Amino acid sequence: MSFLGYIRPDGSVGTRNYVLVIPQGLISKSICDFVAGTRSIQTVDHGSGRTANDRERIARILIGLGRNPNVASVILHAASPGVGYPELRVERLADEIAASGKRVEVLDPVKDGGVYASIAKGMQLARRMVQEASKFRRVEVGDENLCLGVKCGYSDTTSGIAGNPAIGYLFDKVVKAGGTAFLGETTEIIGAEHFLAKRAANPQVGKAILDAVAHREALAKSTGLDIRTINPIPANIQGGLSSLEEKSLGAVHKAGTSTVQGVLQYGERPKGKGLYFVDCWMGSYSIFAGYAAAGSNLVMFQLGGGGLAGRELMEGCPAIVAPFMWCTANPRTYEMARDNIDYYSGTVITDGEDPQEAGERLYRTVIDIASGTLSKSETLTHTDPIDLCLEEPRF
Amino acid sequence: MAAKRALIMHSKDNVATTVEELQPGDQVKTAGGGEARSLSAVEAIPFGFKIALEEIPQGAIIVKYGETIGKAARPIPKGALVHVHNLEGTRARGDLDLEGREKR
Repeated sequence: MSFLGYIRPDGSVGTRNYVLVIPQGLISKSICDFVAGTRSIQTVDHGSGRTANDRERIARILIGLGRNPNVASVILHAASPGVGYPELRVERLADEIAASGKRVEVLDPVKDGGVYASIAKGMQLARRMVQEASKFRRVEVGDENLCLGVKCGYSDTTSGIAGNPAIGYLFDKVVKAGGTAFLGETTEIIGAEHFLAKRAANPQVGKAILDAVAHREALAKSTGLDIRTINPIPANIQGGLSSLEEKSLGAVHKAGTSTVQGVLQYGERPKGKGLYFVDCWMGSYSIFAGYAAAGSNLVMFQLGGGGLAGRELMEGCPAIVAPFMWCTANPRTYEMARDNIDYYSGTVITDGEDPQEAGERLYRTVIDIASGTLSKSETLTHTDPIDLCLEEPRF
Repeated sequence: MAAKRALIMHSKDNVATTVEELQPGDQVKTAGGGEARSLSAVEAIPFGFKIALEEIPQGAIIVKYGETIGKAARPIPKGALVHVHNLEGTRARGDLDLEGREKR
């Protein structure tokens, strides 16, 4: 039970080996366009006009991505509109990332002689840092170094029957081996929260799960709307799901059967290992950025897709540092999107495959991708922007 | 014609999930959730949708995974499609007041 990974100075283990250039903007884009082996993050929010809490959420994402074990070293630039806020000062971001023992370089147009000078300096630095990073070698490490994050989306009834149970099997296996696993999407455990709460490590964690749901449900009610006009989304309803409760009861299957160790804020790193619930919104890419910032070295999207008819399928993948896998249990989705699907468990429904064997196949796929095989979405250069999961109004 | 398949997730459930397209009059045999049951579809039901395993009176709880997934918005005959037209959610209903009545 092992995979091949990169051991970082703080002992964490990466499945990829990037030089990260953040935040987004002209400087990052210019460097990443010209230097192989670099990654950035394309968020649409710089923090301008955001509350302190939301600015801290943005900072958690930037710092967390920098500390992610899939990142060998980091270049930060000070040309972001939000950089004047105390939470987003480039020195603060640099210090907190550097605490992990990684090399961190800062570009500042004021000191460098302008934006173009920073780009030139950054390109030179990035080329050197990428070559330096390439000297890291993969070594065999135990499964306790896996840190997985999952979201289920475009869910349909195959998600609860076979797709999410396969993820649950994987999560149980990885948690048993001493690894870490995240699930989230608070709206989508409404109606199933008691399943997770009764598996909480202690009464405080159980209460935190119920409180997170109560808070989110009260917000939903404050709209004056039937939640079903919002979530389940139309694709869920077209796929056979009839209520939020039904969607949630299928969704919690991806949690497996392990003890829930804690409830984390968006982008918050867990204090220990095991299964964690992340209190956040369901937005696909924002949730993956949160998982990666919390330390995920591989993330998965468990797709239903019964209500999609192919048109919105596979619009790309988020530019995060964790390899991104598509999984599905829907035979039609799989047929439509074989080029994009990394793992298929519809055989449980159509051919009576033993769910445990389906879970083992998923485990082997994850180990393979963690060890360096590209996921299908990783063969694309196209990436989509990420809307971060912020909670408060902007002014 | 061979009976078509539908899956029951839990023995308490009063709906099953179809894993084949059903036409009116199709015979259905269930798997999962205890003993296999036979019933006939009273209307077309697409792949992955729910079929009522018994007559469900208006207002009665609809159960899948052994848990509440909603309640019947109208009487549902045995063998009928169960979906948003005859099942309503019970959670996060901002459109209802504390007594469960529609807000004005």
